[in-house]
Amino acid sequence: MMDEAAFRCLYQRTARPLRAYLARSCGDLALADDLLQEAYLRYLRSAFEGEDETHRRNYLYRIATNLMRDHFRRKRPETDEVPERDHSPGHAEAVHLRSDVGTAMAELSPKDRQMLWLAYVEGSSHREIAEALGLRAASIRSMLFRARKRLAEKLRARDLHPAGEVS
Amino acid sequence: MNNKPCPYEDAVAAAARSGEWSAELGAHRDGCLSCAEETLVVAALASDAEELTDSAPPLPDPGLIWLRARLAARERKVKSATRWISLVQKAALACAAAVALAFAPAIWSLVGKAFTSVDIAGPTLPRAAGSPILVLVGSMAVLGILALAELTSMQERR
Repeated sequence: MMDEAAFRCLYQRTARPLRAYLARSCGDLALADDLLQEAYLRYLRSAFEGEDETHRRNYLYRIATNLMRDHFRRKRPETDEVPERDHSPGHAEAVHLRSDVGTAMAELSPKDRQMLWLAYVEGSSHREIAEALGLRAASIRSMLFRARKRLAEKLRARDLHPAGEVS
Repeated sequence: MNNKPCPYEDAVAAAARSGEWSAELGAHRDGCLSCAEETLVVAALASDAEELTDSAPPLPDPGLIWLRARLAARERKVKSATRWISLVQKAALACAAAVALAFAPAIWSLVGKAFTSVDIAGPTLPRAAGSPILVLVGSMAVLGILALAELTSMQERR
């Protein structure tokens, strides 16, 4: 098991982006915080050393993704997926309502959300995405392409364009 | 519209994230719908991530997570250490029960005799029911069942 200083260092570097990934994937900030803590606990318990920082980060994302999947599998036994959108009471603080991009993302399937976030926010390679999501690396390119098209359509429908990027 | 991934998509994604466009790549993006879409998605997600990170409340305290991990590790160590003590206790209990069961008929007849017989010359030590082999087999069977139960529960805990 790593020492406390090393853990704090890892936490400092990875916790914010990991929470953003969880929050955008599951659409609930409180749940994202719970899953975040559980992911670090599992990471520490595993005593995973990893070859380098990227390896450790990928491992952490894999734990977090599995925890999220397990959470929703327990909640809805008939499916092993994160819900498209949670309509349960007390979900008023759902983070997907906070931005137009978040709303567009919430309309995608959970796998699309996770894949797009890992690829374009985290800059993960196709192999890393495949490992984190339990998919075949060979199919990531085409799946990502289709997910990107779906999100682009939803963004265009909301008249969202990045400033000065696309003519 | 292009319905296949563009070979430039990795370079376009990297440029969209960093904001550093070469003239050639910029020209390609302007003429390729797939890459224009990718640029739109990367920029939208980057701004969303920034907003999400900036507006989110403070992170959970890493000190508490560390403490919980330490406590859980200690609990696992205690469990692992006491598992063998508990196993030996169960085995001893099982042996005692097996021996008691094996001798029960002889003890029962001895007690019966003590009440019915007037001969007080002194009883002899009870003989094991059946033979010592039976006692041994009985004990081993109980121990085997215990070991099997323990192994199964260990696998379930993992």
